Amino acid sequence: MIMLSRVAERLYWMARYLERAEDTARLTQAYSHLVMDIPAGSEPGWDILVRILDAQIPFGENHRTYDEQNVLTFLIADEDNPGSVHFCIRAARENVRTTRDVLPEEVWEHVNELYLFSQESAAKSVGRRHRHQFLEQVINRCQMINGLLMTTLCRDHAYRFIKLGHLLERADMTTRVIDVGAGALLGHERLNKAVDPLIWACLLQSLSAMGTYRRTIGPLVEANAVVEFVFRERSLPRSVRFCLDGIRQELVPLKNHAEALKVLDRSRRSLSRFNPDTARREDLHDFIDRFQLELNTLGNVIVSTWFMPRVDTSGKG
Amino acid sequence: MNKSWNSYHSHNGGDYFDELITATGTPRPEARHAVRLLQDLSSTEMAARRGAAELAIREMGISFTIYSEGKNIDRAWPFDIIPRIISDREWQQVSRGLAQRTRALNCFIDDIYNRQKILADGLLPAEIVLESGNYKPQCAGVSPRYGAWAHICGTDLVRDKDGRFYVLEDNLRVPSGVSYMLENREITKRVLPELFKNYSILPVDDYPSRLYSTLASLSPRDQRRPCIVVLTPGIFNSAYFEHAYLAQGMGAELVEGSDLFVDADDCLYMRTVDGPERVDVVYRRIDDDFLDPEAFREDSTLGIPGIMRAWKKGNVAIANAPGSGVADDKVVYAFVPEMIRYYLKEEPSLASVKTYLCMNQPDRDYVLANLDKLVVKPANESGGYGLMVGPHATAARRAEFARLIEANPRNYIAQPTLSLSTAPTYIDDAVEPRHLDLRPFILQARDSWVTPGGLTRVALVKGSLVVNSSQGGGSKDTWIVESLTQDSPT
Repeated sequence: MIMLSRVAERLYWMARYLERAEDTARLTQAYSHLVMDIPAGSEPGWDILVRILDAQIPFGENHRTYDEQNVLTFLIADEDNPGSVHFCIRAARENVRTTRDVLPEEVWEHVNELYLFSQESAAKSVGRRHRHQFLEQVINRCQMINGLLMTTLCRDHAYRFIKLGHLLERADMTTRVIDVGAGALLGHERLNKAVDPLIWACLLQSLSAMGTYRRTIGPLVEANAVVEFVFRERSLPRSVRFCLDGIRQELVPLKNHAEALKVLDRSRRSLSRFNPDTARREDLHDFIDRFQLELNTLGNVIVSTWFMPRVDTSGKG
Repeated sequence: MNKSWNSYHSHNGGDYFDELITATGTPRPEARHAVRLLQDLSSTEMAARRGAAELAIREMGISFTIYSEGKNIDRAWPFDIIPRIISDREWQQVSRGLAQRTRALNCFIDDIYNRQKILADGLLPAEIVLESGNYKPQCAGVSPRYGAWAHICGTDLVRDKDGRFYVLEDNLRVPSGVSYMLENREITKRVLPELFKNYSILPVDDYPSRLYSTLASLSPRDQRRPCIVVLTPGIFNSAYFEHAYLAQGMGAELVEGSDLFVDADDCLYMRTVDGPERVDVVYRRIDDDFLDPEAFREDSTLGIPGIMRAWKKGNVAIANAPGSGVADDKVVYAFVPEMIRYYLKEEPSLASVKTYLCMNQPDRDYVLANLDKLVVKPANESGGYGLMVGPHATAARRAEFARLIEANPRNYIAQPTLSLSTAPTYIDDAVEPRHLDLRPFILQARDSWVTPGGLTRVALVKGSLVVNSSQGGGSKDTWIVESLTQDSPT
């Protein structure tokens, strides 16, 4: 099966943007619920959402204060923020629009419908009243598209690059979810022991992992156990370990994979060496920062190995 | 009967041929069932069906792009839900005429780039052909397989007052619209499924596989599955939707110029994640001028340097072959009936429109004296641009065209204004007649094949004759129906 480098690149980005839209929606959803659970006075600030997405610079371009309205506008409806749900959906659609010929026909229809829905509703759904419903819809529709891809796509290069995009983005977003829990971001001095389990439970929920956690680990939600579970549970589809294993599985059949495998295996080693039981919250945060850089390097290697062999015509004419 | 049809037949005072309704106001036999059924739908029902069609178009993402003041706008495809219906008995004859015409045009192109017999025999003046911008000297001496150059033709037909089909023009370069023909049928099936009950309608949806077989038969390598690509200028092209649609329908790769390169062995390759992959057939949807910066426009960034070299060496097939446009010049059009007799020794079975060539003194004098009655067209434009419809033009516009013709007579032709046929079209709340044309598609390799029907384009503006989607045109599903012999008209 032939796969053009350009098409592979677009599929990969389609998958990354779809995943990012879904994960941002999940995170925003979970955080909105969390804020309602925490007693007035000790609730964490909205700035955390922007900080864990490393989006302070683009945020600062259009907003000054980190209040609920500004942060949620930025994360849900912003036309220019490459992390906003609406931006991601639009970017995913643009990538599908130019790769329709290699995807099952319904994929375009569903992605296009998702875009039309977001176009129509995103800006209206920043306020608390409609927010939940909008985010829920985005998550559902993204899952439907993923399901469609999983159940109809031929297991060839197209599938492979889509999966690489999904897993790499998901691994990155999962570490960001944990980062919310890391005290470094939450300003732990403000929080007491009663609030802590609430936060971790909320984060597990955002990963659709609460039930599995209870069955596998137990009913008590406790920080170290959650970190261990979300980082290294190989059977949990949103765990970092699961994502990295999946990436490896897709890299192996590709030609010229040596460099990418080398970088990936380095990340897998550092993940298995990290010990949540001995790490302080600051160590956890530092680890996540370093780990995200490693994932970034992996992304760059994928781009330069499989997408770059094109002539650049922009210099001509 | 639904009142939106009430005034329909009074509109049609016999000035035009109507596709569905006779001059006495009764439906034509082949349209009878459909018209009855549509007339039985309430206004609310009709509006609901139209709404469903619009939704389907949006959801299926059927769009076209228009350029306006330097901007690209993606528009939903304008579609009228009332189908146009033609009997297969009539169609068989039209279809034969189209195949005949395409064969003759291909003989002509092959002749022009090789022996130039027709010029030597004086059937048409050599300078008409050789000085045309559509004649590409770079193509001289090339002999594509089966002598086929224009493998995919879109021929525009109109029906005059007399009810006969006339050929308006042949599009032999990169004709578009076939995907809309296919999608129109899909939409009708979704929104008016009950219409299909009483009919046996010739299916259109095997076009992509016909196209695939045609292209595959051109492959220079003997392979079970030759590598076919659809070459598009990219997402900003007005027909991008169609390029993607056809690539998907054929299981071919949709490529842009930068995906391809010609290697030292003069073969064409595409860049893939597994490394270079040899390409056998290019279905190109970019114009000759942009195809190869080495051979044509140097500033083209859409094309592939060296592809002409690869083509001339026979290492890759290009459809339509470069240079095919030499036969869709509007001046050359006037000579097509002669070509049919010359190359095929047959009489043309489809009528052409009487054409005045402004390059000839007597014709020019006639045209200049009758600008208010004629349609004047530039020889090399398509898409309805730069055309003047005399009876509808202002005096200033006619004067402007008189000057243009005097300055460059070779570049203009004129034809009598035809009374384009009409068909019932659902406008706002009423069913009104609107003018339309028809673009069937003809495939030509070793054999020729004609689509059953084609793309019907309809001028949605009252009284307008301009059907181009870029200028306010819409489209209709086109049915070729098996004649109901035992069911005579009432």
